[in-house]
Amino acid sequence: MTLLRLISFQYVRKHKLRWLLTLAGIVLGVAVFVGMHTANQSVLRAFHQTIDRIAGTTQLQVSAGEAGFPEEALETVQNSPDIRVAVPVIEASVNPGRGNLLLLGVDMTGDRSLRDYDLENNNDDAIDDPLVFLAQPDSLLVTRIFANAYGLKIGDKLPMATMAGPRDFVVRGIMQSGGLASAFGGNLAVMDIYAAQKLLGRGRRFDRIDIAVREGVRVEDAQANLQKLLGTGYLVESPGARGQQFESTAQIYSLVSSITSMFALFVGMFLIYNTFEIAVSQRRSEIGILRALGATRSQIRTLFLGESVVAGLVGSVLGIAFGLLLARGIAAYVGTMLSEVYGVAQNVEDVAAEPWLLAAALFVGTLTSVLAALIPARDASRVDPVKALQKGKLQLIGQGENMRRRIGAIVLFALALGCMSMSYIRPLFYLGYLLAIMAAVLFAPTACNWVTRTLRPLMKWLRPVEGALAADSLIESPRRTSGTVTALMLSLALVIALGGVARSSYKSIQDWLVIALSPDLFVTTNESLTSRSFVFPPEIGDGIATIPGIDLVQMVRTVRINVRNTPVMLVCTDIASVARKIHLPPREGDPDTMYQEAAKGKGVIVSDNFALLRKYKLGDIIELPAPDGPLRMPILGIVIDYSDQQGSILLDRELYIKHWKDTTVNVFRVYLQNPTFEPSVRAKIQEMYGGRTRLFVFTNQDLRAYILKLTDQWFGLTYVQIAVAVLVAILGIVNTLTVSISDRKRELGVLQAVGGLRNQIRGTIWMEALAIGFTGLVLGLVVGAIQLYYTLEISRTDVAGLRLDYQYPINIAAVLLPVILGAAWISALGPAESAVRGSLVEALEYE
Amino acid sequence: MIQLEKVSKRFEGKRVVTALDSVDLSITKGEMVSLVGASGSGKSTMLNLIGGLDTPSSGQITIDGERLSGLADDDLTRVRRDKIGFIFQFFNLLPTLTCVENVSLPLHLRGWSRKKAEARSRELLDLVKLGHRMEHQPDELSGGERQRVAIARALSINPPILLGDEPTGNLDSTTGAEILSLIHDVHRTMGSTILIVTHDRGVAESCQRTIRLKDGKIIGDERRSTAA
Ligand SMILES: Nc1ncnc2c1ncn2[C@@H]1O[C@H](COP(=O)(O)OP(=O)(O)OP(=O)(O)O)[C@@H](O)[C@H]1O
Ligand SMILES: [Mg+2]
Repeated sequence: MTLLRLISFQYVRKHKLRWLLTLAGIVLGVAVFVGMHTANQSVLRAFHQTIDRIAGTTQLQVSAGEAGFPEEALETVQNSPDIRVAVPVIEASVNPGRGNLLLLGVDMTGDRSLRDYDLENNNDDAIDDPLVFLAQPDSLLVTRIFANAYGLKIGDKLPMATMAGPRDFVVRGIMQSGGLASAFGGNLAVMDIYAAQKLLGRGRRFDRIDIAVREGVRVEDAQANLQKLLGTGYLVESPGARGQQFESTAQIYSLVSSITSMFALFVGMFLIYNTFEIAVSQRRSEIGILRALGATRSQIRTLFLGESVVAGLVGSVLGIAFGLLLARGIAAYVGTMLSEVYGVAQNVEDVAAEPWLLAAALFVGTLTSVLAALIPARDASRVDPVKALQKGKLQLIGQGENMRRRIGAIVLFALALGCMSMSYIRPLFYLGYLLAIMAAVLFAPTACNWVTRTLRPLMKWLRPVEGALAADSLIESPRRTSGTVTALMLSLALVIALGGVARSSYKSIQDWLVIALSPDLFVTTNESLTSRSFVFPPEIGDGIATIPGIDLVQMVRTVRINVRNTPVMLVCTDIASVARKIHLPPREGDPDTMYQEAAKGKGVIVSDNFALLRKYKLGDIIELPAPDGPLRMPILGIVIDYSDQQGSILLDRELYIKHWKDTTVNVFRVYLQNPTFEPSVRAKIQEMYGGRTRLFVFTNQDLRAYILKLTDQWFGLTYVQIAVAVLVAILGIVNTLTVSISDRKRELGVLQAVGGLRNQIRGTIWMEALAIGFTGLVLGLVVGAIQLYYTLEISRTDVAGLRLDYQYPINIAAVLLPVILGAAWISALGPAESAVRGSLVEALEYE
Repeated sequence: MIQLEKVSKRFEGKRVVTALDSVDLSITKGEMVSLVGASGSGKSTMLNLIGGLDTPSSGQITIDGERLSGLADDDLTRVRRDKIGFIFQFFNLLPTLTCVENVSLPLHLRGWSRKKAEARSRELLDLVKLGHRMEHQPDELSGGERQRVAIARALSINPPILLGDEPTGNLDSTTGAEILSLIHDVHRTMGSTILIVTHDRGVAESCQRTIRLKDGKIIGDERRSTAA
């Protein structure tokens, strides 16, 4: 301990910048770890809180998937002896102008025994008096936050496009903040359930029944009895259970988070390793003196490990602080990505990490730091006191060590290949992934040496003095460089993998669009194409079909249902008609008969990603939860279809109507006799229905652009990763160069003495930086190829069920070249300046 | 050729050290001068100032008609690279480069073409009798050979002035004598102005002129006519 204070503290004081850089390595890893996981946790917590707020004192909820169920079910429930209160609910996301909000349709007469509306100024008359709220179907309750955002007072009007044409709604009450009014951050409005049915075009259907059981009845018993009463088409569950669906979606992000933070920690580890290696080689004479004075090997090792613990702790604390900041941004992103469940983005008010996560971060950060210091500490303890006190540098990695690393790399790589051949066992697959990366890491110093040796003639040719000396500086001091290069390699590999996934998914979605998106026009209820809150009556489709110039109108109803507890998209349409226009590329099954049979209602066609993710095969029986009991259908075909991330099931519309008793439609797909009719048909549709209902017409072009924009999100992630790689490059290279210029002090002095101008001195430092950047880039691009393979595999089997072609993202690689070399050059500016500024006389006497 | 007027150099540390104290000195073209004095008397400091590696605290230095004071860093470097060749006690060769590359270093820094620079270096290495060691790296050479490479490097640009800080200080007496005779050869054949710092009486006395320093002041300036 005294040693630590006496020796280490002095060193840290003298090399503040370098220590900050070491810390940065830990901070980076811990921040990503804390940020990602905190964000996930916070979003989940906020979501559960929202569910609780909306549920009020509800004990059980009855639902039947997104399609809802006929009103009659309410009576059945209310007649049950176990039930004290049962009220109907409709939930939908609507956008009255400034972003989505959750619209709650309730039956105000019964609902208040479950939910507290808590109106301002105790103006409860508004809802107490049936004549005020119920009798007027245009009544609306809004939250204080909403009222402020839209500048509304009681009595003000809010116009909305409804399925029955444009309507004005009147604010009859404003809910005080807190409780229900805080759900979704106040993006919530309440109206009468029958008004909501009209607004949304839902017919006489409800989404949910909220229930409180009679006193003395156990909730579990009531749940079991109701489930029996309603049959398996209905789901009776506690409000909290709804969060589970959300959690299963969130798991994907959790997996991605884990891989990303593991990488970040790995990268951090190499930045730290690098600093410690440098510290050991710089402090050799100090270590020699200590040993000569009687310090034992283990005391020296303890000294360095002690330093790594301190650095780990300090870095972790800073990392946690940064991570919590980072979590806010990520939480907003995840909240939006997961808006699928309610249609309203889950905003996260308090981003806070759970104590165990902070403890884990502290532990992981410190462990990373100690692991990174293990080898340097061992090297330090092996310093020979006699040799250390002589002049000269210890830089070359011993031949034996190099050999051991190379053999280790080959063994690990062979093991990884073995695991790859058995990748149907998932833990083995992930083990293989880990081993492959470890092999790459072990091999990195050797590869780094190869690349720099290859670069030397080129650099010498470019600049005979500056280039050759820069290359030599790298070749002679592998310890100084290899950590930086490895860190850079790992972060660039991640960029390549993400870029590759983005590129292939973009490509396959584009290919799919060409086939699947053949209709000329799409008539929808919403400007956001994924929203399914509003629905059309089928009559509108019949009306559109009469317009001259139209060849065919297909009615499509898409609803999310739960199959084996995970959400899937059920696509219901006239399959015979679809088969006339589109043949989605088949993966399994006969392309002709599958459509014929499915059109006869003899089975379903499922998407490839559904089959992959949920492990269904051709011919398997799939159980669809219809309100009138489970519908068992064989899988007639598996086709490529990217309609939905979780997978889709194609069912004939007849069958859907029969079992779900729902005739509504989300989208009319319109085929024209001739593409030139497009403007006139479009105008005609607007003329016939524009004023009477809520309706949007998109052209084929519009839709393609919209879908491709969604896929761009992947590219967004790639850019974030590029930014991280740039950061890693700068941290690592600045670190390495700071040491390099002090190691090269004498050489640089000689250069100046024999006539080197300042720019020539700068030049050699710059070239060294560029060479480090380039080497990291070359290794990163190679390891990226491996990383891309594993990422595609993970995305195929465990995340998205996407069978993506292996396509190396050459475009991203081309972008990386100037970006990383640019970052390297910027990193070199500071060190190069300090190199030309030093005293010449001192440099020449430097020993 | 070399002119010093009231040149002083003070090092401002915890206490101020006056390494050179108002020195006046004039060395004419083609002279071969030795600089002697006790350790710490200011010899290296004077050489560094003349070579433009350091700047005086006060006074004026003129090299071949060019005043050094007020020159920017790069301009100082230009004077140095056109007019001055250095020979150091510890050779200061770059360990990763071969002999030829070390010698051609100053030429490349001046932008000479590869071919020209290499030809010139080989010529010089032949001159210092190292024709058989062209492609060797410095750590494969003896001390004397290294110093000969360093001299070849100093000569590469054909400088009018050659400065040596104890060029024989790190060599045994036989090798030292060899190096000294090489320097004399250079002086004779090229007519360079040469200033060498030395502790060796023999070396000092082989020069036409010897300047004696003590505590930063010149306390002796003796000329002799040696035929060496
Ligand atoms: N960078 C410096 N900072 C402070 N003092 C210095 C510095 N360089 C030299 N000195 C001092 O200046 C004085 C002259 O030093 P110089 O190196 O010129 O002596 P020298 O005659 O070359 O000695 P030696 O024969 O030992 O090489 C000495 O007292 C020395 O301590
Ligand atoms: Mg000296």
